[in-house]
Order: sequence, then C-alpha cells, then structure tokens
Amino acid sequence: MNLEPVVEVESLRTCLGGHWVHDDISFTLRTGEIVALIGGSGTGKTVLLNQLVGLRRPDGGRVKLLGQDLARLGSADLQALRRRFGFLFQDGALFSAMRVAENVATPLREHLPWLPKPLREEIVDLKLALVGLPPDAAGKMPSELSGGMRKRAALARALALEPELLFLDEPTSGLDPISAREFDRTLRVLVDSLKLTVLLTTHDLDSLWGLADRIIVLFEGRVIGDGPVRKVAGIEHEWIRAYFDTRTLE
Amino acid sequence: MAASAPQEPCCTLETGAQGQVLCLHGDWILKRLPRLEAGLKTLDIDPLRPLRLDAGKLDTLDSAGANHLLLHLGRQGHPLAHLTLVGFSKQGLALLALVAVRRDVVPPRARRRRGLRQVLGWHAWALARGARAGLAFIGQTGQACAALLRHPGSMRWRELFVQLEMVGLRAIPIVMLMNYLIGVVFAYLLGIQMQKFGASHLVVDGVGLGIAREFAPLITAVLVAGRSGAAFTAHLGAMKVSQEIDAIVTLGLSPFQVLVLPRLFAILLMLPLLSFTADVAGIAGAAQVAALHLGIPATNFYSRLRDVLPLSTVLFGLEKTPAFALAIAMIACHSGFSVRRDARSVGLHTTSTVVRSIVAVLLIDSAFAVAYPDIQT
Repeated sequence: MNLEPVVEVESLRTCLGGHWVHDDISFTLRTGEIVALIGGSGTGKTVLLNQLVGLRRPDGGRVKLLGQDLARLGSADLQALRRRFGFLFQDGALFSAMRVAENVATPLREHLPWLPKPLREEIVDLKLALVGLPPDAAGKMPSELSGGMRKRAALARALALEPELLFLDEPTSGLDPISAREFDRTLRVLVDSLKLTVLLTTHDLDSLWGLADRIIVLFEGRVIGDGPVRKVAGIEHEWIRAYFDTRTLE
Repeated sequence: MAASAPQEPCCTLETGAQGQVLCLHGDWILKRLPRLEAGLKTLDIDPLRPLRLDAGKLDTLDSAGANHLLLHLGRQGHPLAHLTLVGFSKQGLALLALVAVRRDVVPPRARRRRGLRQVLGWHAWALARGARAGLAFIGQTGQACAALLRHPGSMRWRELFVQLEMVGLRAIPIVMLMNYLIGVVFAYLLGIQMQKFGASHLVVDGVGLGIAREFAPLITAVLVAGRSGAAFTAHLGAMKVSQEIDAIVTLGLSPFQVLVLPRLFAILLMLPLLSFTADVAGIAGAAQVAALHLGIPATNFYSRLRDVLPLSTVLFGLEKTPAFALAIAMIACHSGFSVRRDARSVGLHTTSTVVRSIVAVLLIDSAFAVAYPDIQT
C-alpha cells in the first residue's frame, strides 16, 4: 500500500480568465515525502493546491488523492477524504469569531465528537506547543495575533486530526528565519515519525535546501523540473538558473 | 467507529527483578485515545521503581498518542528522561523527544475570566470610547468638507457618480414599489373609515397629507438605511480588513475625501429625489384604490388633491430627508471605519449600522414632528 502514490496529478489543465495557467501538469507524491512546489508569482501554485483539496475543479486532467479520484467522489466521500488531510492557507484562514484554542479544537469536536473534553484539550495544548505558540496565545482571538503567530495557529489546526497528508501554502512566509528553521525541523520530525506526506509551496530557499526531499518547478503552465533540489538546481533553464542564482549573488 | 473496535489490552505492566516493564500494544493513535486513557488508568505504576518502556508490539504511534503516554507517565513520576526505552524505531524516539521537549518549554495555559465588574467597566469604557470616536469622525468629515471647499478640484467625481447610481438610481424600483403598496393599504384603510361617514372624498386629504409628510420620506429613508447604509459599512469594513484604507492613507490620500464624502454627498442628493418618487408612487397607489374600491375616479382624485395638498406640505416632507441622509451616511461610514480586522466584526458592524440608522431616522422624524406641529390644509 505504501507503494501507491499519495497524490497523483495527471495532465491537469486550468483556465483562469481566458488564460491557460496550467497546461498539462503531472506529478506524483509518495508516502513520507516532503515536496516543495516552486514557481514565479502567478504560476498558479495556490490554484493548484486548491484543486488538489477539491476547492476548485480542474478544467482538464485528473487528480487522485490517497488513491481516490476527486472528480468521481460524491460530497460525502469527499468530506470523509478531507478528514485525512490538512490544509494550511496562505494567510491562516483562522475562524475570526473563535479563540485560537477553539480554532484548533474545531476539527476534533466536529469529527471526533466522542472524544472527552480533557483529552481534546490535551491534544489542543500539544498541537499549540508543537507549532511553538506561546501559552498565552491559546486564549487570544486571531485578530490579536501577529501574522506569524496566526500562521502557526493555523498549522496547529491543520495538524489537529493527525492527517496523513498535509498541504501547506507558503508555511514559512512571514516567519522570522529562526522560527522558520524551527518550523522546518518540527515538520521533518512529524513527517518522519507519522509517515506524513507534505506538499508545500514556498519561496524560502533555505526550506528548499534544508527541508524538501524533492522540488517541482512550475513554469508557464508546465512542470519543468521534478527531482531532488541538487538535481533541479542543475537544470539548464533560464528561470531555474535565475531562481537559484538569487542566492549565490548574496 | 474506532471506539467500538474489539477489545484487546493496549498496554501491560510486568514487574520483574530489574524493575517495571510497560509493554505497548497495537496502535497508539488519536482515534483510540479514550481506550488508551482507560488502559493506562488501570495500571498501577510504582513511581519509585525504574520503568522500561517496551515498544516491541507497538504498531503505530502518533503525536496525540505519544503525548498522552508521556503526560500520564509524567504524572506518575516517570518523566521521559527517567525512562528506559526499548524497541522504539528511530522515528518513534524522535516523536517522543519532540513531544516531550515542546511540553517542557510551554507551561499549561491560564484561562482568562471576567467578573461582573470587569464586564460593566468594559462596556462603559467601550461606550465612552465609541462616543469620542463618533465625535472625532464627525469632526474629520467636517474638516474634509472644508478642505474640499478650498480645493474643489479634489472632488472624486467618479466615485461620486458610482455612488449616485448605487444609492439612487438602483433604489428607484424598490422605493417606488414599497411606497405604492403603502399608498394602496393606507387609502384602503382610510377609505373604509370614511365611507362610514359618507365622506369618501376625504380619503384624498388624508392620503395626500400622510404620504407627502410622513410615509414617503420615512419609508424611503428606512429602505436606504437598510440598503445603502449596510452596503457602505460592509464595503468600508471589508476594505479595512484587507488594509485598503491603510493603503489609501499611506498613499498620502485622505480616506474621508476618497471614501466618505462621495458617499455622504450621494445619499444627501439622492434621498430627497427618491422621496419625491416615493410621493408619486404612493399617491398613484392611493388613486388606484380610490378608483377601484371607493368610487372616486382618478380625475376627481387628482383635482381634489391639487386643492387640499399644498406645496409646503410636500416640501416639508422632502426637507426632512437631508437630515435623515446625514445621519445614515455618518453612522454607516463611521461604523465601517471602526471594523476590526476580522470577518465577524464586519457582520456585527453592518447589523449595528442598520439598527442605529433606522433608530436615528425615526428619532429625527419625531423631532421634526414635534418642532413643526402645525399642518396647513
């Protein structure tokens, strides 16, 4: 079962406002991998993530998550599938009417209603601690948090149900470098010990080098690079060259 | 679902010569947490004797399971540092270490509680701050108006015309429909009363006075408060949430010039005009009822209306509307500007705009009624 790809994208196409943002995109993710999706602004990384979790229908091609074809799933099956993965939105998307702790408790309360309250609070405390939030953050409203703290709280919510698959949209943007590296380490341990699979979009070169097992490069609607960082960085392509050169110039 | 899995012990405790051995069985995962808790509770762990943790029969361990195990053992006097770990995979050890390290750093959180006094004080403080902010808003709008008078070129014509269309033009159908129906109902009720006295023609007097002086301006103002007031607050509030208003300020522009004044002028200009269409629609509705049910032909209705409804009454009705407009625009814009950066706040402020501006309109209307009691006939 482990050999079966966790995420399978086959010749996916997307049209946004008359313009083909994705034109034949294919890749697969296997269990326990951390894969980074990179590409210039406007290459549809966020759109692609939204399609993978079923928030948006692709205009062509096929998406299979955990062995199930998204297009063929009914809404009940899709809901069931959604419990098995977590999604971190770019700006957190915390429920603004709830305190941080309640935000993290929401998926637990909705999907595991039989879980006694003390155990639920124990898990909430754990997740908040795992993402490195200070203890006083739990009782705060999302609007009282800084951008980086909102992001961590959102990650805690995405992790609440012990997902098998995690989609992260720019997880380390807005974090200081120290917190970003700590985030990378936490993610690595979680991935290794929980057999988690992670697909993240990022512009953080340190995350690419230090964290990602593989990177996928989107350029003009196509995948122009797919492999370990070292291999992709060596690809002779104008955009890839420019992307990785920004670092060597420093 | 998972809670009803076949019962098998999730952990066993053996006491031997070298100390205690805690064997973990099966899955230690979130879905089995209640069973794990129950299983751990039945064990009688001696805090004084060394404890070995044997994971030889452990299938899967997730962070919730690892955390619960460590918390329980910690409460029993066996923190992770004192445990001997046997049979864990490299990943399992890393997970235990991760969970334990984080736990040490973050102490348990304290919950905030508010007493009655705090709640009362908080509300009083919020009221005072709100009043101060409201006054400041009126002042700033006045300042922006003064600045506009000095530099008339800074008027935002495009925004003004957009707002004139949204507030005025697009409201005409609903305003006319509502007032037509009010005219129908009012004429019908009044007509039944007047027929008892054989004085049906007096319907014209009552309807003309009632619609021109009260109903048309009031119904129109309430509609505009609900329609445009809510739209102003929601729009400005959403702009506040996405920091567009901050962006306007940092570009060196005044949000009052760019956002508030066009809306204020649009409502000030359009409410009297809408009220006039409301007069027309209401009287048309009344005339139709009079013709169909009370036996007053339309020509008779209108010629009597010309005799009994002086222009001053119509003008009095229209004169009130700029005051309504001012109240609606100021309440709606101020409310929009005081939205905090979250979605719930937008909803709360929009609700409060509608309620407060309708109350304000009714208050102003009764103030006018008291201040100008004489009615010309």
